[in-house]
Amino acid sequence: MLDTIPENAVWAIFFLPLASLLVILFLPRSQATAAGVVAALCIGAAFVLSLWALDSSLQADGHPLSFSSHEWLNVGDVLEVNVALNVDGLTAVMLVVVTSVSFLVQIYSMGYMKGDGGYWRYFAYMSLFTASMLGLILFNSILMVYVFWEMVGLSSYLLIGFWFHRPAAAAAAKKAFLVTRFGDLGFLMAILLIYVHAGTFDIAAIQDLAIAGAIGQTVLTWFALGVFAGAAGKSAQVPLHVWLPDAMEGPTPVSALIHAATMVAAGVYLVARMFPVFQVSPDAMSFAGAIGGLTALSAAMIGVVMVDIKRVLAYSTISQLGYMMLALGIGAYVAAIFHLFTHAFFKALLFLGSGSINHATNTFDMRLMGGLRKTMPITFITFVIGSLSLAGFFPLAGFWSKDEILSDAWAHERYLFYIALITAGLTAFYMFRAIFLTFFGEYRGGAEPETGAVVATLSNQAPVSTEPGGFEPDPVQAHAAAGAPHTAPEAHHGPHESPWLMVLPLILLSFPAILAGFANYNHDIEHLLVGALPEGAEVAEPTFRMGVAIAATIVPAVGVILAWAIYHAKVISAESLARLFRPVHSLLENKYYLDVLYERVVAGFLFHKALGGALATFERYIVDGAVNGAATSVRQTASVLRYLQSGQFQTYGALAFSSLVFTTVLVLVLSPL
Amino acid sequence: MRPDLNLDYALLVPEYILGLLALAIIVIDLMMPKIRKDALPFITAGGLAVAFAVSLLYIDTDDNFAGLLSIDDYTTFFRCFFIAVTFVTVLASAQYVQTHLRHPGEYYSLLVISTVGAIYMAAAQELLTAYIALELLSFSLYVLVSYAKMERRSNEAGMKYMLLGAFASALLLYGISFIYGASGSTSYAEIAAAFEGGTEGFTFGTLIGLTLIVAGLGFKVAAVPFHMWTPDAYEGAPLPITAYLSATSKAAGFALLLRLFSGALMPVIDDWQFMLAAVSAITMALGNLIAIQQRNIKRLLAYSSIGQVGYMLMGITALSPEVSSALLLHMTGYVITNMAAFTAIIAYHNASGAEDVSDFRGASDRAPLLAAVLTVALFSLAGMPLFAGFLTKFILFQSVADNGYFWLAALGVVASLVSLYYYLTVIKEMYVSAPPDSFQQEGRFRIPLIMQGAVIVLTLGVFFVGLYPAPLFELTDSVAAVLFTS
Repeated sequence: MLDTIPENAVWAIFFLPLASLLVILFLPRSQATAAGVVAALCIGAAFVLSLWALDSSLQADGHPLSFSSHEWLNVGDVLEVNVALNVDGLTAVMLVVVTSVSFLVQIYSMGYMKGDGGYWRYFAYMSLFTASMLGLILFNSILMVYVFWEMVGLSSYLLIGFWFHRPAAAAAAKKAFLVTRFGDLGFLMAILLIYVHAGTFDIAAIQDLAIAGAIGQTVLTWFALGVFAGAAGKSAQVPLHVWLPDAMEGPTPVSALIHAATMVAAGVYLVARMFPVFQVSPDAMSFAGAIGGLTALSAAMIGVVMVDIKRVLAYSTISQLGYMMLALGIGAYVAAIFHLFTHAFFKALLFLGSGSINHATNTFDMRLMGGLRKTMPITFITFVIGSLSLAGFFPLAGFWSKDEILSDAWAHERYLFYIALITAGLTAFYMFRAIFLTFFGEYRGGAEPETGAVVATLSNQAPVSTEPGGFEPDPVQAHAAAGAPHTAPEAHHGPHESPWLMVLPLILLSFPAILAGFANYNHDIEHLLVGALPEGAEVAEPTFRMGVAIAATIVPAVGVILAWAIYHAKVISAESLARLFRPVHSLLENKYYLDVLYERVVAGFLFHKALGGALATFERYIVDGAVNGAATSVRQTASVLRYLQSGQFQTYGALAFSSLVFTTVLVLVLSPL
Repeated sequence: MRPDLNLDYALLVPEYILGLLALAIIVIDLMMPKIRKDALPFITAGGLAVAFAVSLLYIDTDDNFAGLLSIDDYTTFFRCFFIAVTFVTVLASAQYVQTHLRHPGEYYSLLVISTVGAIYMAAAQELLTAYIALELLSFSLYVLVSYAKMERRSNEAGMKYMLLGAFASALLLYGISFIYGASGSTSYAEIAAAFEGGTEGFTFGTLIGLTLIVAGLGFKVAAVPFHMWTPDAYEGAPLPITAYLSATSKAAGFALLLRLFSGALMPVIDDWQFMLAAVSAITMALGNLIAIQQRNIKRLLAYSSIGQVGYMLMGITALSPEVSSALLLHMTGYVITNMAAFTAIIAYHNASGAEDVSDFRGASDRAPLLAAVLTVALFSLAGMPLFAGFLTKFILFQSVADNGYFWLAALGVVASLVSLYYYLTVIKEMYVSAPPDSFQQEGRFRIPLIMQGAVIVLTLGVFFVGLYPAPLFELTDSVAAVLFTS
């Protein structure tokens, strides 16, 4: 047993990635290859310190360690923002998740990004992200949480658009930034609202006030809903989930770290952090549960029809985040964070596996893969481990956390239990569909590596994701669609196992993907998390239900068998299934047409054209009057006076005068005389 | 002349310096043709630095000149503020004026004179003085906006600005006369005293007067629906003047509004608060929504600045000591950010002649520093954390919400989201779109050292205010307290 972690060591966790950022920025460009080493070393050190924090937190039974508060912005009685570190059980768990996954991803990135023109920039952004994410977890003030919340959004924007010269990546980055900001609106308003009523930004104080009933019920409900809106944006909950699949345009390690394991879980973390407030407001709770359930099911259904392995994983992530929200909605706070914990490892493992596959085949299109289990044995084995864990098979990590959620759902909200159970079946089905398509059968050729400075990754992305394909893979058609010449596998070197820098993290991540579930064997995680709650908050006691556990094993098993029957044994024809369910199939393939709705109708038409356009037209033709016409006449006559008589100024004057009259009348009508 | 008037002329030394500087520039321009071209901006900047230093001597003064001008910390704050803005504008103008404009002497001289007007707008404690100060600023600006006299757009803009400005002045004067009629005085303190006992008997006149004053000053700060001159003036004016308009002209309007409403009209707050709330709401909504459609970077920033006026009007609406200090803080942050954005745009324009958003394509390759600075500034304007814009805006919104206007603050949050959208389109052009073909032959733009230095210093300012606002906030807090002590 170690001593309790001193405050400076906790600060170091936060500042190490920042230091790595600074070092990388000032690194001479000739030494740019050192950037990866610097980043990995710093985050590795932060990981070790995080373990220390975890140990201290275990000793304190999850209760917050006491650290001193620092003045940041204190001006008279106007505003008081103090900054203090907050390390409790929840923080400690998150710290370990973020630093460990981050560390492994940085190592992997050294192999994956090798030779990329933006190598040092990549590691600079990654360090910025890690620092922001750690800040988000570590600080006690909701205002600071918001600041880092936006910072992770910003670094995610930079990293999705990392290959910014590719229009798809740039568009995806912008979309992600704007859509999540939509949720953040609610979050920021919630912060303003709670400050007006509670007079503090301190999270613990807000929790205490909420529990003590010092803040009105309505206010708390609105606050909780605002927080949830922010969380829904970041954690890709329906209807704000549309940005996450597109975010796959970023480099694959980024997807693993940010868009699977850490940042997207920040929404779940935030709701968990504010859990005592949610408890006081049952409406907000059941709303969160319902949205979570809807997200879990609808995203899993899309995952079934995707042909791009990274998008399958993206929808799987959305679905699993929905699972966590669902758990929070039914009060299963421990189960939700436990699932966040296990999910981080196996999902990062799966993403890195898909990156390894891409490294070998130059594509993410599963229709171009197949038979990789022979050439890439380690990737294959680790990918299967990740999938089994995700599908929730005993005794892998995913089983324990998923079972806890199901068990709680059974006890508290029956309809959510069934949704969660169906989702579990779908999850097993789509993961094993991916495995059979990718690793079994014959190799279907991959794609040509992209030439140029940019590492080839997603060249086939756009056509793959929009082209409505069938259940049945059709490599020839896919090749034509991707614009790549059909080449026999022998024509180029053929797929091969990735370099050890990439394989090692896969192996290392397999261990927690198998074993992380046992972390709660002695209810350690439960103690940690419950200890983080303030006095007076109640948590559903997780109980093991044998019936639920059996159901939670059988249903995914059915999913695996179905996937085997359709995609490996081909007992059932995928094509005829697709034909049979044509409307559903195309609905899913087009992701419920939500993107179309948002991009064309809401953003394109309603927002940009109708509202902005109408106002601009109003300005142009009514206010701006005959600017253009007048300009022409001025050009002709070169007479300013003539121009002024052409209606321009009169229009302005008339408008100003009528607004004035209008305002005056308004004043007279409304004024409290 | 009343014997009790305090005619301590020493209180006005900074303005004497500015006046002399303005004269000296013209004389140098006339008499010494040899040095005039390159040296003028630096002579001006030197003179401004002296005036700045002298202004600092007046810290903690609490006096007034003839009951017309208060010389207190509020005035000192704005003296330094406006002189600093003019300083940056002058330096940013150096290259632009040489290549685009004629008669540099008058140009710099008018900038300095307008600074005096702006300072007196903040210092005035009497309505007619305020009015005259405002006209001093406005007349200098009318000329400056139309300074590119060979360019049609500039003439057009100047003419439009002047006519609408005259219109606004008429409204303002008319409003002043109503207030005078209702209260029997033009001095802020006496107006407040007159209204303190209730406004029975002259409520109607007061209301009309207030409406007219809001309208007249609304014109000056470009609040919707009195904003129509803004896009044209911004687009037509020489670029450095656009920057100056967006900073000094706006800040001066708010400096006046703040002292007037807190000093004279606080007792009748019920009569004007809802007016300003409405104006603030439509200003931020409309300004930000119309900005989406703009293709010209100056027009885009014009509408964006209209949106910003909406946020600041929020601060006048929910007037209180805390809100005022937040408003001053936000204004400072905004002006630093805006000057950073405009200085980068001016430097880019000098090199490329760019005016449209699409001209900025590939700016990250052609001028990496300027692209980075502009990105920082735009993120700050959109209110992203790390940059000045987030914290100052947040503090403003939070204090407004705290003073009973949660809905206005909430609307401000939504408006900020909208603004992010159009700022991102500019950033996208700079980083995503490929540079034009001419880039291959021309290579990177050469940016003069002084511009590089200016944008770097301003960017550091943006970060400083964003990360460690405490010193500035303490300053604005003590400055705002001056307004509410009496």
